[in-house]
Amino acid sequence: MEIEVKKELDIFIIKIIGRLDAVTTTEFEAAINGLIAEGGNKLIFDMGELQYVSSAGLRSFLGTAKSLKAGNGLVAFFSLQESVNKVFQMSGFNKIFKLFNSMEEATKFMNT
Amino acid sequence: MFKNRGIAFKLILLVSASSALIFLLILSYNYQSSKKMIEENARQNAWNLSRATVNRIETALRSVQKVPENLACYLENSSYNKDELVRVLRAVVETNHEIYGAAIAFEPHAFDRNALYFAPYFYKKGGKTELLYLGSESYKYFYLDWYQIPMELRQPQWSEPYFDEGAGNILMATYSVPFYRTINGGRRLMGIVTSDISLEWLRDIVSSIKILKTGYGALLSRNGTFITHPSKELIMNDTVFGIAEARGDKTLREAGKQMVRSGTGSISYKNIWGKQCRMYYAPVPSSGWSLSLIFPVDELMADVVKLHRTMLFGGAAGIVLLSLAVVFIARSITRPLTEISNAATEMGSGNLDIDLPSVRSHDEVGRLSDAFHSMRDSLREYIRKLTETTAAKEKIESELKIASDIQMSILPRIFPAFPDRPEFDIFALIEPAKEVGGDFYDFFEIDATHLCFIIADVSGKGVPAALYMAVTKTLIMSKAKEGITADRILMKVNDELSRDNDVNMFVTIFCGILDTSTGEVCYANGGHNPPLVIRKDGDISFLGEAGGLVIGAFEGMTYTLEKLMLGPGDTVFMYTDGVTEAMNEKEELFSDERLERELASLNVVGIQELVSGIMEKITFFTGDAPQSDDITMLAVRFLGGKTFV
Repeated sequence: MEIEVKKELDIFIIKIIGRLDAVTTTEFEAAINGLIAEGGNKLIFDMGELQYVSSAGLRSFLGTAKSLKAGNGLVAFFSLQESVNKVFQMSGFNKIFKLFNSMEEATKFMNT
Repeated sequence: MFKNRGIAFKLILLVSASSALIFLLILSYNYQSSKKMIEENARQNAWNLSRATVNRIETALRSVQKVPENLACYLENSSYNKDELVRVLRAVVETNHEIYGAAIAFEPHAFDRNALYFAPYFYKKGGKTELLYLGSESYKYFYLDWYQIPMELRQPQWSEPYFDEGAGNILMATYSVPFYRTINGGRRLMGIVTSDISLEWLRDIVSSIKILKTGYGALLSRNGTFITHPSKELIMNDTVFGIAEARGDKTLREAGKQMVRSGTGSISYKNIWGKQCRMYYAPVPSSGWSLSLIFPVDELMADVVKLHRTMLFGGAAGIVLLSLAVVFIARSITRPLTEISNAATEMGSGNLDIDLPSVRSHDEVGRLSDAFHSMRDSLREYIRKLTETTAAKEKIESELKIASDIQMSILPRIFPAFPDRPEFDIFALIEPAKEVGGDFYDFFEIDATHLCFIIADVSGKGVPAALYMAVTKTLIMSKAKEGITADRILMKVNDELSRDNDVNMFVTIFCGILDTSTGEVCYANGGHNPPLVIRKDGDISFLGEAGGLVIGAFEGMTYTLEKLMLGPGDTVFMYTDGVTEAMNEKEELFSDERLERELASLNVVGIQELVSGIMEKITFFTGDAPQSDDITMLAVRFLGGKTFV
């Protein structure tokens, strides 16, 4: 797994590449916690190149969302691949997370 | 070639070979230059010796020449009678020890008109001086070389050596001087005065020359005949050319030509005894003879050879000593190295308590030994810590095993679970992964006509997941009371779990309640994999697409209650993601599609065979790939409403 982070104004756009499983989640969490500690409270995850997400991965998304919620932050996802989208649908995460088709839609959501 | 040989061997080979090479180079250079020096010396020596010898011979010949010259002068300038001549001649022979004999030979009728011959000849015989009058029918001296050649040439002349038969009767050479008388103003030859030199005597001179051990000198006449030679058969019998011809030795023949031309020179050749020699030759001017001195080469070089033999022995001894020194040094290096190597092998096999060789030197070997000592100590310390860690780890692992056992033991595992309930059948199978996992299932009767069944998967693994599972299971049991619906069970359990859930763990769960009298199933799905419904006629389908949120994530979530009618023989098949995400060695997933296909194709009667059949398929599919997640399946079959009487 690799992470590419870019910042647009107060929004962090985080691109996750590869697999988010029990092994890579620790690294992922460390990176995200780093962003939150920097004061980032608007996170958009670019899921275009995320091929697989395990329950451990879902758990760290949940943790992120909870942390941001406490500080009135926002989290959004866009460009979910079919397999990842299926996991989100099945686990009901689509009910608590904002999922978008494109980055424009996601940033628009953040800014309103 | 020497790859497998020890350091000592290589060192000895290298040092000995290179020092031997250097030594041999120096030795051969030294041999060549001293050989040259000795040859030059020998040459000088040979010339000096031959000059001295030639001088001695010359002196002897001169003194022999003087006698007839003086007699000739006397005869030309005074008158004499027979007695006087004989007296003078005797005195001359007796007083000149160099000469063997002397004669005054007159021309025919020159001394006495009536006598054809007049030639008194004195010679030495057995210490006495004998007189002999030469000239007879058998000894016509006028025709002999010693007489005729100087007469014809009208000058003094040395004869070729000859055997004087009938007169001296020995091997000799004769110096002849013609004498004259002036008669009527004209010089008339009166006769020849001679003196003889014994070749025996000459040979004594030549053989007195000492040349090395077996070297010798030889005198050759004007035509190359041997006058003196250590081998007596050659004397007067052979010439240098004869020998050269017999041997086909061109060098010797050339040398012979030089000798008869009064030349000087030297050649290398094999002497008559087949010995390699160096010959130096020089002329004896007065007689036109040639003196040659023969030096055997081996004796000439004896000193050089001896010196070099000594040097060679010394050098060899030196190399042996050097090799011994190298062996000693190499041993002092390789012995501790071998010991360390053996110790390392021993250590490699696990024995860290061995004594390492102690090396007292502070060189590289000493440092290696020190490094080995500290390595052994570090290894001991490391192994000690590792042992402790392993023990601790084993303790944890055994505790985890116990945890896993406890976890499994809280799941209902006795089948048939409800032998007295003919209206339904239920069967479950759990195949835990190596690590303690978070899968679980449960089923229990809420009341006489309601069977509650659940399948769930706690996120994560290990003890936290196991604990969380136990809590969830207990909570469900406590909430599932008579009259409650599945959606409400999930809602309540979710609220309880979510409250103060700092670890963000969650559970995917499917919960169903079967009305055993009607076959109606009311269910709710909390983010779990959708179960499959297998109708009696073989029709198979996934139950609902989207469920609610996993439980334990957010408080206050609600869940949808769904309904499903089962006819007799219809089955609900539930599973966890360990089934659909089972992976083979090519990293392919077992997948929803394959599960559906396999379920449809299994031609079995009971639900136990159904579940076990799927398990077999999964095992076959994954092959040798390790199982990474718990595999859990739960099947419920409705068999028909109970007839209440």
